[in-house]
Amino acid sequence: MKIIVCIKQVPGTNEVKLDPATNTIIRDNIASIINPFDTYAIEEAVRIKEKMGAEIYGLSMGIPSSQEMLREAISLKVDKAMLLTDRKFAGADTLATSYALSLGIQKIGDYDLIICGKQAIDGDTAQVGPSLAKTLGIAYITDVSKIIEIKDNIMHCLKITDDGYEELKVKLPALISVVKEINMPRLPSIKGMKHARQAKIEIVTFADTDANENKLGLKGSPTKVRKTFVPTHEINSEIIEGTTEEKVNRLAEVLNSKAIRKGM
Amino acid sequence: MASIDIIKEQCIGCKKCVGACPFGAIEIIGKKAEIKDNCTLCGVCVESCKFNAINFEFDVVENVDISNYEGIFVFAEQRYGKLKTVSLELIGKAKSLAQELNTSVTAVLLGHSIDNLSKELIAYGADKVLVMDAPWLNDFNDHVYGEVMVKLIKDYKPEIVLIGATSNGRSLAPHISSSLRTGLTADCTVLDIDKEERLLLQTRPAFGGNLMATIVCENHRPQMSTVRPKVFKPLEPDYSREGIINILPIPTPVERFVEKIKNIDNNETISLADADIIVSVGKGIGSAKNIQLAKDLADVLGGALGASRSVVDSGWIPYSQQIGQTGKTVAPKIYIACGISGAIQHIAGLADIETIVAINIDPDAPIFKVAHYGIVGDCREILPMLIKKIK
Amino acid sequence: MDNKIKIRFTEEYGEYLRDESRQVGFADSISFVKSEEEIISVLKENYANKIPTTIQGARTGLAASSVPFGGHVINLSRMNKVNGIRYDEVNDKFYIKLQPGVLLVEIRKYLANKSFITDGWNDSSKNALYHMKKGEWFYSTDPTEISATIGGMVACNASGAKSFRYGSTRDHIQSIRAVLSDGDVISLRRGEVISDGRLFSVTTEGGRIISGRLPKYEMPNVKKNTSGYFNKLNMDIIDLFIGSDGTLGVISEIEIELNKKQKSNWGITIFMPDEDKALDLVRALRGEKIFCDRNAINLNPSAIEFFSHNALDMLREQQRVNPAFATIQEIKENYHTAIYIEIEDDSDDKIWAGVEELGEIIVKLGGDEDATWVANNPTNLEKLHSFRHACPECVNMQIDLIRKSDSRITKLGTDMSVPDNKLKDVMKMYNDGILENNLNAVIFGHIGNNHLHVNTIPRDMDEYNRGKELYSSWAEKIVSMGGAVSAEHGVGKLKVPFLQKMFTKDKIDDMRKLKKLFDPDQLFNRATIFPYVESKGVK
Repeated sequence: MKIIVCIKQVPGTNEVKLDPATNTIIRDNIASIINPFDTYAIEEAVRIKEKMGAEIYGLSMGIPSSQEMLREAISLKVDKAMLLTDRKFAGADTLATSYALSLGIQKIGDYDLIICGKQAIDGDTAQVGPSLAKTLGIAYITDVSKIIEIKDNIMHCLKITDDGYEELKVKLPALISVVKEINMPRLPSIKGMKHARQAKIEIVTFADTDANENKLGLKGSPTKVRKTFVPTHEINSEIIEGTTEEKVNRLAEVLNSKAIRKGM
Repeated sequence: MASIDIIKEQCIGCKKCVGACPFGAIEIIGKKAEIKDNCTLCGVCVESCKFNAINFEFDVVENVDISNYEGIFVFAEQRYGKLKTVSLELIGKAKSLAQELNTSVTAVLLGHSIDNLSKELIAYGADKVLVMDAPWLNDFNDHVYGEVMVKLIKDYKPEIVLIGATSNGRSLAPHISSSLRTGLTADCTVLDIDKEERLLLQTRPAFGGNLMATIVCENHRPQMSTVRPKVFKPLEPDYSREGIINILPIPTPVERFVEKIKNIDNNETISLADADIIVSVGKGIGSAKNIQLAKDLADVLGGALGASRSVVDSGWIPYSQQIGQTGKTVAPKIYIACGISGAIQHIAGLADIETIVAINIDPDAPIFKVAHYGIVGDCREILPMLIKKIK
Repeated sequence: MDNKIKIRFTEEYGEYLRDESRQVGFADSISFVKSEEEIISVLKENYANKIPTTIQGARTGLAASSVPFGGHVINLSRMNKVNGIRYDEVNDKFYIKLQPGVLLVEIRKYLANKSFITDGWNDSSKNALYHMKKGEWFYSTDPTEISATIGGMVACNASGAKSFRYGSTRDHIQSIRAVLSDGDVISLRRGEVISDGRLFSVTTEGGRIISGRLPKYEMPNVKKNTSGYFNKLNMDIIDLFIGSDGTLGVISEIEIELNKKQKSNWGITIFMPDEDKALDLVRALRGEKIFCDRNAINLNPSAIEFFSHNALDMLREQQRVNPAFATIQEIKENYHTAIYIEIEDDSDDKIWAGVEELGEIIVKLGGDEDATWVANNPTNLEKLHSFRHACPECVNMQIDLIRKSDSRITKLGTDMSVPDNKLKDVMKMYNDGILENNLNAVIFGHIGNNHLHVNTIPRDMDEYNRGKELYSSWAEKIVSMGGAVSAEHGVGKLKVPFLQKMFTKDKIDDMRKLKKLFDPDQLFNRATIFPYVESKGVK
């Protein structure tokens, strides 16, 4: 079978910090990483490959340096990788991103399964997966926490919901987005890294596609950022001082008074 | 093609834009700003420039005639005859938006054997309820519900569609927006109206909550947002309120691509969403075995146990109890943060909370900036004493 | 009690009778001092009344040094200010002056954020901080226990994984101040007081001259050692205090040296098909030439760590049953023994060149380049750290469980090191001993310095006793291999018998004489390093 994993390059976790004095973003040593949720998608694809044989494509849309991230995906046993990169793709919201990714997927062609991470940690929208499936006209299941079985072109899986889990089945081709319960992503091996350093990443620009320019990038994005601002959290706070015992007494007093006042 | 350009004559090289750019895509070369290749056209820099030296141009395409669209749709999510509270919260919010737009709120109710829910939706502020009651709508299904919603939106042309950011809502909403090729803004925390342009101002956290972004959908309709549970407060229900209940004819069933085999429901004791008191633990608790201390405190107080992302990542507590941007948003009356440093991603999961108590050994922990009561100290020492005291 | 700082010992202070060794002591009073003046005032009173004093930091020690043996407890955990920074422009080096109660985790946080509480700092310190902000600096000593105090680390000459490259605590201490038992203060700066052969003489701040002769014993030829007083010809007297287990004075100020942080930091876990091949890999990693047709690996690791087959089995099992360990990496069934290394250099490319060579050596030894985990970013490195730390955590959790049924049982852990050429011998000794005695034991630790922790989890009292005997027999063999019975935890109270296997009674009496020069009434840390002998006139 052929599996496509969608991967996004994001700024390293917890590294986007604001300088409280100037309200500007501190960008010291920001390393770009594979979106952590996508690492679960990669790992799941590799596990399917190890179990039943598959060819895995890593697909990303992003700036040229995302190539290195795709190389990392190859070190994790993804077979081939494609990067969609062009100024015309820039500024895309989730709709335009889905359209661009669909172009890459059509180029790869003939897939059985697309796996995405639940969401990207920089945007947290969780929209690209479903939106991409809709653009491709295939079925999708979000928040998959376990693939139970893939047999005769039917996939059985568990989806995590607000109320627990749902056991579902879907006919392939389909798209799933996966949550972190699904597996424990491996780290690359020396062998994987040696292989990745020699691997070729396929670069796809606008000119390589027969895309509708109006559906791409900022132009193809219905949503626009009107303004941005730094959130404020201003409140009256009391730092309880004293010996540990005094602190505990005061806190117990606070909790009691709040609880009683609310009739709890 | 869309572009961002620096107007060199106006740029004084003040570097404000460099600090504002979340991607590090601006550099000062020869006292003038220059946009580098890794620019994503997010537009954050435009705001930051005090000299109007950044020109952001984008072409407008695919206009729909937006004047044909009017009214607000709220997707009234229910599960086997029980409404999700977020739907009621959204109706309340929609009501106030509708007043500004001088229009009405329509709740869209899909499911089976759901007759009694319409009145409740009206009591909570809906002017009109569209009901589709069919056996094949009994179980939620993204595709089936999505297709029905798309058809209704095409028929009724609402200008705004609000959907709760529940697990179902987050899966359903992009299906609808993609089908209609319109914009969708996830997890809004503030919704407002720009009266002049008759636009929905959708504000949501960006970059892990370090920035708030106000997003608009100017040329496409409907304007769609999802909102997390507990972000807005529902109105006091008024069961004497009157409204229109419109029972829709049942179309031919939509084909399902995904079939449900069974539900496996959780039976958590007190869910985080309903708890009045939450005791939440962060990495500062030290080790997995100390989680019991927080659990004990939660038990004595009759509350629920939550956790920060790092604790969940360590596997000490299941993901279902994670609070924060990538977990749940909670709104208890009292929130006790034990050993939680208070990264902005965590704070993003704390909705309107009356009393936040923070216990942390690090006096500089950001959690103290949002806490109403703070104790600088070791949870491992304080919690056992506190439990004893409260008992 | 005359002194206001001293508090009578009540039940409330019960925890101060214990440390991580789980031994429980006894005491009459305790003080939580905040300054050198307070230490002096307490000690003067104790000296006048011949009250023995035990010195405590964060009580994270594993050898019971800080478990009181009667008398008074001086707890230094609240003496935790940073006193200043010094910049040595000539060598481009930074030094931080610390009170003894500053925690290692706090030092790391201060350095990561380059943010200090500068109240009371002089201009030169503030100026040094300004310079420091231009670069990245770190303190290289890294014991697993990061909530240890710097005072405690100096007292037992703590080391850790990265000591393989950076050495132990001793190698990064520039100066100390210590309060002696009579309340007088001694200030020692590296390079200033050197013994003449074995003769030394040092002047206290009170003007007293302490002079004497260092004992005649040889220290083992190992890189990590904290078995009795540091001792060699023409030595720096500051080194006598470092690793003295709190038996000479109360350290009241410490100046540590910082290192420049390297840009790239990688971790690699390598799984080898059997233990012997893993040991060969260790030799190759530390630069020994193991194949005649190949040069040594050019990698310069900062740490070389080991996980025995049993340790991996234990982790696999815990992973299956305990959700707390569910997120550590999955260990494949055919992974037999693991070696973990950390590498620091100024570019990823430089490290990669060494890693490629490492891959070739692994294959030549019959291993598989695919049976490796490479972490080349902070997120993944953190995963390998959790994996490394899961070993002792797993052991401690199992011990806690067993103690519920029999509280007499404690963990049995070794902390011995041997010279490089004895690595295979010492491994054989450990393996044979465990097998012959049918013990439930895992081996992990700092194999780069031939310093392994054998952790036995006794299932009952019988196993506990058998284990204790076995450890005692190992101590003898370690001594005959030219090793040290305590490499990094200190002798404390638990290893007093082991030290006696390493040194004859005469030598230990010599050490005691040395102690008496600084602490004539033997008031400090009674029963630590030396067996307690009741003497006249001392309570």
